[in-house]
Amino acid sequence: MLVCRVKLHQFIIAQMNKTLTLLFLLFLSLAAQAQNFNYGAITYDDYEFDRKKLDSNANAIVLKEFGTASIQRDDNTGSMELIFEHHVKIKIYNKEGFKEANIIIPTYKDDTREETISELKASTFNYIQNNFVETVMDKKAVFTENRSKYTRLTKFTLPNLKEGSIIEYSYKLRSPNMFNFKTWEFQSDIPKVVSEYLVYIPGIYNYNVSLRGFQKLTDQKVELSKECLRLSGTAIDCSKITYLMKDIPAFIEEDNMTAPSNFKSAIYFELSDVQSLNGSKTSYTKTWKDVDYELSTDKSLGAQMKRKDVFKDLIPVITKGSNDDLEKAKAIFNYIKKQIKWDNYYGKYAVDNIKKALENRSGNVADINLNLIAALSAANLDAEAVILSTRDNGTVNKLYPVISDFNYLVAKVNIGDKSYLLDATEPLLPFGLLPLRCINDQGRVINLKKPSYWIDLTASQKTVSSYILIGKMTPEGKILGTLTTHTLGYAAYNKRKDILRYNSVDEYVEKLDERLTRIKILEHSIINIDSVEHPLTEKYEVEFTVTDGSNTNQFYLSPFFINTISKNPFNLNERTYPVDLGAASDERIIINVTLPEKYQLIEKPKDMAIGLPNAGGKYILNTNLEDNTISMNQVLQFNNAIYQPEEYLFLKEFYSKIIQNQKTEFLLKKAN
Amino acid sequence: MKFLFSAAFLLLVSVSGFAQDNYDVDLIPANLRNRANACIRNEETTVDMRSPDNVMLNVKKAITVFNQNGDEEARLVLYYDRNIAIKGIKGEVYNSVGKLTNKFSQNDFSDMSAADGFSLFVDSRVKHYLPAVNQYPYTVVYNYEIRNKQNLIIPDWNPKPADDVSVEKSTYNFICKPADQVRIKTQNYSGTPEVTTDEKQKKTIWKANNILAVRTEPYSPSHETYNTSIQIAPQDFYYYNHKGTYTNWQELGKWIYDDLLRERKSLPPTTIQTIKDLVKNEKTEKDKARKIYQYLQDKTRYISVQIGIGGFQPIAAGEVDQLGYGDCKALVNYMQSLLNAADIDSYYCVVEAGSEKKSMDPKYASMVQGNHIILCMPLKGDTTWLECTSQKIPFGFLSDFTDDRLVLACTADGGKLLHTPKLTTAENLQTRNADLTIQKDGSIAGQMKTVYAGSQYDNQESLIGKSITEQHKLLKETYNIDNIDFETVSLAQKKEINPKLIEDISINIRNYAPVNGNKMFLQPNVFNVKRSIPEMRNRTLPVYINRGYTDEDTIIYTLPDNVNTALITPQDKHFKSVFGEYVCKAAVNGNKLTYYRKLVLNDGTFPPDQYTEFSKFINDVNASDYLKLALSLK
Repeated sequence: MLVCRVKLHQFIIAQMNKTLTLLFLLFLSLAAQAQNFNYGAITYDDYEFDRKKLDSNANAIVLKEFGTASIQRDDNTGSMELIFEHHVKIKIYNKEGFKEANIIIPTYKDDTREETISELKASTFNYIQNNFVETVMDKKAVFTENRSKYTRLTKFTLPNLKEGSIIEYSYKLRSPNMFNFKTWEFQSDIPKVVSEYLVYIPGIYNYNVSLRGFQKLTDQKVELSKECLRLSGTAIDCSKITYLMKDIPAFIEEDNMTAPSNFKSAIYFELSDVQSLNGSKTSYTKTWKDVDYELSTDKSLGAQMKRKDVFKDLIPVITKGSNDDLEKAKAIFNYIKKQIKWDNYYGKYAVDNIKKALENRSGNVADINLNLIAALSAANLDAEAVILSTRDNGTVNKLYPVISDFNYLVAKVNIGDKSYLLDATEPLLPFGLLPLRCINDQGRVINLKKPSYWIDLTASQKTVSSYILIGKMTPEGKILGTLTTHTLGYAAYNKRKDILRYNSVDEYVEKLDERLTRIKILEHSIINIDSVEHPLTEKYEVEFTVTDGSNTNQFYLSPFFINTISKNPFNLNERTYPVDLGAASDERIIINVTLPEKYQLIEKPKDMAIGLPNAGGKYILNTNLEDNTISMNQVLQFNNAIYQPEEYLFLKEFYSKIIQNQKTEFLLKKAN
Repeated sequence: MKFLFSAAFLLLVSVSGFAQDNYDVDLIPANLRNRANACIRNEETTVDMRSPDNVMLNVKKAITVFNQNGDEEARLVLYYDRNIAIKGIKGEVYNSVGKLTNKFSQNDFSDMSAADGFSLFVDSRVKHYLPAVNQYPYTVVYNYEIRNKQNLIIPDWNPKPADDVSVEKSTYNFICKPADQVRIKTQNYSGTPEVTTDEKQKKTIWKANNILAVRTEPYSPSHETYNTSIQIAPQDFYYYNHKGTYTNWQELGKWIYDDLLRERKSLPPTTIQTIKDLVKNEKTEKDKARKIYQYLQDKTRYISVQIGIGGFQPIAAGEVDQLGYGDCKALVNYMQSLLNAADIDSYYCVVEAGSEKKSMDPKYASMVQGNHIILCMPLKGDTTWLECTSQKIPFGFLSDFTDDRLVLACTADGGKLLHTPKLTTAENLQTRNADLTIQKDGSIAGQMKTVYAGSQYDNQESLIGKSITEQHKLLKETYNIDNIDFETVSLAQKKEINPKLIEDISINIRNYAPVNGNKMFLQPNVFNVKRSIPEMRNRTLPVYINRGYTDEDTIIYTLPDNVNTALITPQDKHFKSVFGEYVCKAAVNGNKLTYYRKLVLNDGTFPPDQYTEFSKFINDVNASDYLKLALSLK
């Protein structure tokens, strides 16, 4: 029979430092048998399980969890199916843990195939008068809901739940989808004492297996299971593999993190190839070379990139007046942005074809960006496609191609020795800046003629904002002046979006004026709202009160009235996962206010220059009184998009120092 | 003549397709574009009650979207279930000059379950569609028809769905048999509807034209109070195989009681015995009820279950007894059954829940009012109310979720309207006392005790039962101060009819009062800064403050000995308006600095022109809350 090969790759998300931590684990042992535990066999040890052993804060703990998955032949249809069994026992400590008794099992369905749930049973066990009393869930209490076209939910909740109850449930899931086998999540929102997954993989199937997350396997065993499957009279051996993890902490989401799936410990399978009995082999997950060929010939991807014909007549019109390739590319980018509206769906494949999307003036991400690629190519520019996974979708597997990991497609155009990543779905973003959702580790460049390769997905522009206030103070303690702000990058994108939420600029400013209670906006002009290639510039004539005017001989004055930092965004005491801010940023504030008379500066906020380790960021503050003019100059910079968990406390202290400083003020005294 | 008119009308209905209207955007009057993100060009809603189990709804709507903010107004959302059948949808999209650019049909719609979160639902579903158009303005025109197999709930008319939408023309046509009796609730409709009757049909038509878009104003009363709407309630109704008749709350409550509740109350004998044993030593009915309520809270939990007669009928009490869970209907019905076992009378009450108070309309009974159920025990004059879906809430306390409003009590004698108790400005009290020591480096530490009462009772209720790490995390959200840490956290509930929650924490804030040169900067109001509100000119709507409250904070700081206390000038601010009162004081006595703050905010409805005074009051509070002391160091 065929020898089966199973590899296990453990990888920890590459965002850490852009290098993969690889750990090849290949155990071969014939140790003790993995076994499901008996349903309903609740012990006093289960009931009395001391949560302090694992997590004294837990509201519920998974005492035992066991899953098996195997491939079998459905005797009725003759087709192969995946059988997945899941059995779990949970101790509920308090009312906060009751939500663990609300179970939702999602299954896939479409017009021709569906996953089914059977043999579902669930019970609650309560310890009453020295006995475990079982309350069996009534079958009528199980509801199924067709959530959407492709998802069905099986929902149930356990009966007779009390603080201290133990709940147990098990079910069998049959799936026609052999491709991803069945992912096993070791980690969930509550801690687990033991989680064990037993898979039977027939020798004719070959899967790539990967473990994600920070937790390590406690044990892994590979055994040979003789004649586990019979196909056309031939017995096939299986690899029987057990993955075991013990004492697993709860997974708790944090602010500023990318998709939880990047960090949650789970084991993933992807079908690599299937050998048929006659010895021929069908490859599924392949090398990038195979994938390149497939994608570049795919009728919804590569074939659409080639459709220069769609733009043959349009290009001369679009690029009229463009003097060089860069101008041409920009003209085409602007044309596509204007011409096709994004329907808010992601995708790496065109829904129909690019021509239809162009005619309908609407399409998904791939429709729009494949149009862009075809148009750029039609103008004889060197355009490629980049497939990527969005931030909420997790990072992609870098060890081997997992096409289902990618959910998005953008364009890359190479001009001279420079290249630009383009996404025409967001009209408010400038040429070369991808939306924040795309800034997620690396993407794969698909070229119709050359092999594919990885490319870093980083924001091509910093998030920049600057505020300049030039003004004078009246004898009554009011400041009259001109506030000019410039914004670039995502800051400009967000502001433009905000402005366009209003019917007119006047309405936007009216709202702004209402919101800024101590500031009156007397006049305004906003430049480059639609010219997204240029910084967004706002100019406001403002009048505001900084002192109550009760004492003009000597008074305190805070220079921190623009974007005051009073709350620390990093206020917690610990951090488990990296802090992902998306893009580096730079904020500058300059204030010059002329005083009505001669004043002496008695006190002032300390001038400061502090930084984050490894040049991760800096804050600089200088204030002064010279020639009757008070000046303030502030720079706040974050040079990285991602900070590691060990840098969290530095970030916290950095902000804390700024907050402390911003509480101090100028003390001015009239000069005699 | 009558005959002729009817024929002409039929003809009109059958030919009212789209094409003949002109949707050129330039035809929209300028005043309808002002502040509007979308304009309803024409909407015709026809409700044809052919029989109680066959009510046809036909909607034809043309809406122009001016910019992306108006996009959502063009989305078509249709809910349906086994009692509502969608008969047909078709639509068209026009560009700014009124040229047809696209068509859509039911196939283009997304279809999904209407369930949200963990809810055990049966068949409530929703279809929705939004055409993707990137050239503004554009116009979407659609026509759909829905068959309702019931007439208990008749689609109502709200011609103006949102502040930022203007309406060029909207009509509502209600058709029924000439003999059908219906009650109509008319709100903010100035004209009189056109009524035409022949031997077959009675048609009533309401029309609205040229309604302007308005700016959204904060602290304003709910939309229903100033927007036009028509609601209709037929006297004889059919609903999920049930028939009934009602013209007032008494009759509707009677039907709910008889048809939906009466049969749902039986309990197994063992449970009845358990209850009898449980209360046998209690003297008063109220004490008995308190015990039974504790039993309910220990035994059950809330799970949303949208089944049974359109979501109006509770799961039987016996079933809740066995399952240990249910939704608001089921848990109230179960509690009522438990009380019955102890011979205590109680009423199943329908209420519109939510922090914003909404009453049942005493003049207009209908099934659509109310979204929650609570229980009322008359207790011979000592009326006591129970919220049955929470395992934490004290006995007899409704919280701001259902306070101060009219509810429908469904009793064996029929329905009656009862008023839930009001939580007053004085009762909604938060009292805070802190004793903090300031170190030389400006760090502060000490003990703080806060007592929450009335509507403020549940400010921190969610912390109860949470683990220590979670409590610390949540406290950091409540007291979001740089460098704050908590050492001990204790939460106690005084579970009385007027309950209190006592939060006792020890806190530590490193470098809270920064030292700069020979000054230490202290903002004595650490924990309670009132947020500012927008200033606004030309206010049109009344100022509405839903609920009042009182906050009283006293913080005593022990100053480090290097502070020159002689140089501290006492602060004393006090102002008052119809909206409330504010006091803020800071004074030194020895090495103790005492900061006192009191804010009273009154509830009520005030004329529009008083908004300026209101925003000034709140913003003055905000400014005063930022009082900063520069303490001179020796």
